[in-house]
Amino acid sequence: MSSPFTKVLDTMTRLRGVSACLVVVAEDGISVDSNLQFGQDGGRVAALAASLYRKARQSALAAGLGATGFLQLEADEGRLCMLGGPELILVVVADSDANVGLIRVEMRRAAEQLQ
Amino acid sequence: MIKAAVEPWVEEPLGKFVKDAGVRLALLLLPSGQVMAQYGFTRALDVMSACALAAAIFASSGEMGKLLQGKSFSALHAGGNPQFFLAEAQTARGPYIFLTVFDQESSLGLVRVFYDEFKARLAAAAPPPVSQEPVLASNFEGELNRNLAFLFGRA
Repeated sequence: MSSPFTKVLDTMTRLRGVSACLVVVAEDGISVDSNLQFGQDGGRVAALAASLYRKARQSALAAGLGATGFLQLEADEGRLCMLGGPELILVVVADSDANVGLIRVEMRRAAEQLQ
Repeated sequence: MIKAAVEPWVEEPLGKFVKDAGVRLALLLLPSGQVMAQYGFTRALDVMSACALAAAIFASSGEMGKLLQGKSFSALHAGGNPQFFLAEAQTARGPYIFLTVFDQESSLGLVRVFYDEFKARLAAAAPPPVSQEPVLASNFEGELNRNLAFLFGRA
C-alpha cells in the first residue's frame, strides 16, 4: 500500500547505511508513514525523535538563532538525522559509516516535498 | 502532604510514567470512580471531580465503542491545549482507568509509548487479587473520602 510519502521514504532507505526512515507529525510525535527494518520500534523512535526536534527548535529560538534546520544525533552505533518544518519531520536512522553529507542533501530535497 | 498513591505498589510505575512522559497531571482510578493514585493535583475536590468525569467518560465511550465496533475503545485522546489521554489498564487486581493531562512539553506519541510501559509495569507490580466487597452506593462515598483523605494528608 502506498502513501503520499512512499517515494520519499523509498529514496531515503535506498541510501547506503540508512536502516529506517520515518515521516512524523511534529506536534504529536506520531509516525505518519515509515520504512523500518524488522524489530525496529517505529512508534518509540518517532515519539522520541520528534520530542528531541521540538526541544532543539525551542532552544534555537530561545537563543535567538532562528529556525532549526538539520539536526544530527551521534550515538555509539549509529546516528539519527532529523529535518523538517512546523508540521512534519523527516527522521532517518543510519549506521555510523553512512554518508551523512549525502543523507543531508537527500533529506533537504525530501523535506521540500513534504511541506 | 500530598501522597501519590493509596496503595504503594502503584507509586513506582506512576512516578516513572510522569517523569518519562513529562505530563502535567496523572490519575489512576477504579472503574467505579475511586481514586487509587494521582500526580499533579493540589486539591482533593479536583481529584474527586476528575475521577467522576473520567469514569463516566470511559463508561460511555466504552458503550459507544461496543455499538460501533463491537468492543470498547482501548484509549481516548482529546487534542487542544492541554490535551488528555484516557485508557484502561488491566492488572491481576482487575481493570483500572488511567487519565493523564499534558501540554506542549510532551506529546501524544510520548504519552502512548510510555503508557504502554506503565501498563506493563503496573501489571507486573500488582499483588494477587483480594476478595473485594462490591461497590455499593452505601459505602462508595465512605471509601472515596477515605482515599482522598489519604492522598491529601488528612488520614
